[in-house]
Amino acid sequence: MHDAATRPVCLKIEGLTKRFGGFYALNDLRMQVERGHVHALIGPNGAGKTTFFNLITGVLPPDAGAVFFEGERLDDSRPSQRTIRGIARTFQNIRLFPHLTVVETAMLGEHCRVYPSVWKAIGKGVLWGAGSREREMRANAIEILEFLGLADRLDAKSSDLPYGAQRKLELARALATRPRLLLLDEPAAGLNPRETEELDDVIKRIRDRGITIILVEHDMKLVMGISDVVTVLNFGTKIAEGAPEKVRQDPVVIEAYLGEDVLL
Amino acid sequence: MLDRLIDGYTLSVLIFAGINVIAAYSFYVPFKTGQVSLGQAGFMAVGAYASAVATGKFAIPFPLALVFGGLLAGLIGVLVGFPALRIKGVYLLLLTLGFAEIISVIALSWDYVGGAQGFRGIRYNPYTLDYVIVIIVALIFFFSRLERSSLGRAMDSIHQDETVAEVMGIDVVRIKLLAFGLGALIAGLAGALYAHQATFMDSTTFNILLAVEILVFVVVGGASTYWGPLFGAVVLNAFPEVLRALREWLELLPVQWVDFYPMSAVYSFLREFLDFENAKRLIAYGVILIVTMILRPNGMLTRDLMRKWHLARWKVGHA
Repeated sequence: MHDAATRPVCLKIEGLTKRFGGFYALNDLRMQVERGHVHALIGPNGAGKTTFFNLITGVLPPDAGAVFFEGERLDDSRPSQRTIRGIARTFQNIRLFPHLTVVETAMLGEHCRVYPSVWKAIGKGVLWGAGSREREMRANAIEILEFLGLADRLDAKSSDLPYGAQRKLELARALATRPRLLLLDEPAAGLNPRETEELDDVIKRIRDRGITIILVEHDMKLVMGISDVVTVLNFGTKIAEGAPEKVRQDPVVIEAYLGEDVLL
Repeated sequence: MLDRLIDGYTLSVLIFAGINVIAAYSFYVPFKTGQVSLGQAGFMAVGAYASAVATGKFAIPFPLALVFGGLLAGLIGVLVGFPALRIKGVYLLLLTLGFAEIISVIALSWDYVGGAQGFRGIRYNPYTLDYVIVIIVALIFFFSRLERSSLGRAMDSIHQDETVAEVMGIDVVRIKLLAFGLGALIAGLAGALYAHQATFMDSTTFNILLAVEILVFVVVGGASTYWGPLFGAVVLNAFPEVLRALREWLELLPVQWVDFYPMSAVYSFLREFLDFENAKRLIAYGVILIVTMILRPNGMLTRDLMRKWHLARWKVGHA
């Protein structure tokens, strides 16, 4: 038996297709994400990037195709089961739980590791002595919040945090599920230049922990600086793939994505 | 035990208030995962009829019948919970309402449980108040632990954003089913206690008005903390009793104080106003509900408020 976590291919996509009515959000997409990489997914709005995330995490069922995570086919398992297998994500529009505090939000991510079944959650978690487990979860949550620089506002309500901190808290919640694959959906959206630089650093540190990252992002400076591989989507189809410096000079990409040769 | 210390009327008020507290908790549990049920009266009916059949037709001791009624209601709750998983908001309200109607029609048409004549001669349980107190204390203990537990947080997260909770690895399906089944079980206990206190029930005893009342207890008391349902049910049950006491006090006034024109009008108006039969009580609940929704939309007690009190006490203790 191979140790699943040491396989070089983290995620393999075969012929993934998703239609909304007659519109192909994704059309026969094939791609491979290597373990330990930061793999960027770029493309104009409506290219199918968020749909891609929804299919990988099981929020939406695909119309055709298959997703293999660490060599195993995910098929139609529910999102929570995929999270337990090691896939976590953040959302393009921040979706925190407004009534939970910062530390509670981070602890929530760990729930699926500590209490894999509902019966354990109600037995060991509620009825008899959850104290030490609860303290451990809190300590782990605080460690992740420190890693992201959020540890100074543990008991604030998550809805009271400033925008940039809310983005970080989403990241903390995803990291708390202890993923091996992390999907980031436009993590730099709405951040100021200083916060974006901080994010750049955080993504590198997450990668250095051995977590594979798929990054959907419009900030080209961030994408080109950080990614090992860039895949370009347009109208649900892959139009280019390769190292950042190669992709940025691809005339097809320039035409589809930028219209003219700005920035790149 | 307590029945030796208090008069019969107060005792019966306390018992029915206590049963209402338990019923309010039966609404609170599924609501913690975002499921609004108008079917809790239906689950009370299941527990009431099942336990009454057990004690009446099979001579089973009341404690066992109580457990049987609760478990059967809980089991049916899980079965109803499956279709409820896919439905939200107004549609879930209608589904649960439909379930309660089905139970009511079964009670009406099944002669084995009395049919249209009602279920008569249910064995009276002299210790209802003791059972009620024990169950309420156990529930509060359970909820106080739940609220500080990982499962409690998971339930809160499902209430706030189900999709995200699922993506964060929370088993939304099982937790929602568990909550719905547990709510039904608690309702079944309340129903069984009611049946063996009132000793009579028919198909209209556990009707939509009761379901709405239960909802009002929780919404007025506050659904974000486990103290809310208790508070709401106690306050709204005490309310007509307080008015009744006021009316009795009014009648003690010396005649010469109220026996001249403006005072006599005020007196008869107050007497009329404080005469609290059922219809007026429901109107008052409606008014209280509207006022609460405007002034404190999250109910009188909220978790933030409880935390604040708790912190204040903690600071005093450790100053």
